[in-house]
Amino acid sequence: MSKKGTSTFVVQRATGVILVPLAIWVLINLVSVLNADPSVALVWLTPASKSIVFGAFLAVGVWHMRIGMSEIIVDYLHGWLGDILRVLNWFLALALFGGIILSIYKISFAG
Amino acid sequence: MSDGAPKERVLSPHLQIWRFTPTMAASITHRATGMALYGGVTLIALWFIGLALAPQMAATLTGIFRSPIGVIVIIGFVWSLCFHLMNGLRHLYWDSGRGLDPKTATMTAWLIYGVSAVLASVILFFGYGSA
Ligand code: HEM
Repeated sequence: MSKKGTSTFVVQRATGVILVPLAIWVLINLVSVLNADPSVALVWLTPASKSIVFGAFLAVGVWHMRIGMSEIIVDYLHGWLGDILRVLNWFLALALFGGIILSIYKISFAG
Repeated sequence: MSDGAPKERVLSPHLQIWRFTPTMAASITHRATGMALYGGVTLIALWFIGLALAPQMAATLTGIFRSPIGVIVIIGFVWSLCFHLMNGLRHLYWDSGRGLDPKTATMTAWLIYGVSAVLASVILFFGYGSA
């Protein structure tokens, strides 16, 4: 566990719980939508109900995996390398999180 | 402290009495699948962002998903998510203070390997069948 032990522990569990129903829905649809032509996948995702659920899986998953990976890094790497990797881990999570939210908007709400 | 003797630290005996248990394997697999999912979620997020904002990137990723390597990646992702999801629920069950005795923990570890393999096979069968 990292230094802010309790709060990361709770957020890790909470995001895990939220991911369960989202992941089940994604698992049912993932293989066919990833293999579809991009234009077909985009049409499939256009209803807000779909882009939001798919995007929520990715966004919550990104947050959960950021915490998990940070703990893995803390477990194995103690010096500056670990610090750099944890900063990169943060940047990747923020960039993906922002991109996902923006994409939900573009796909279903920007007309 | 400084009596000149070499400062040998006391080590816990875990390296000498190490023994394989399914519970330990499941714990290592939880971490390994977590890391695999990290890569997979990153790829799928880039694909999703590409569909909305960068069509060329989405097209490239679709090409990768359809390639033989992509099929292996998708099979790995689907099984990893099945395993990690179920084992995550096992963690939460443990957090509630239940299921912790070795017999139950061993049984649930085997169960999760078995059920995740069956579930992933069914998902992949129907997923590729309908493509
Ligand atoms: C979006 C997919 C997911 C990704 C990318 C992901 C990633 C990760 C990673 C990287 C870790 C750290 C592993 C470790 O410390 O050994 C982790 C831990 C964990 N995950 Fe996930 N996970 C996902 C889905 C889920 C789901 C659906 C659950 C359901 C309950 C879950 C529950 C947990 C729990 C409880 C832990 C903490 C384990 C521990 O404390 O040792 N995860 N996850």
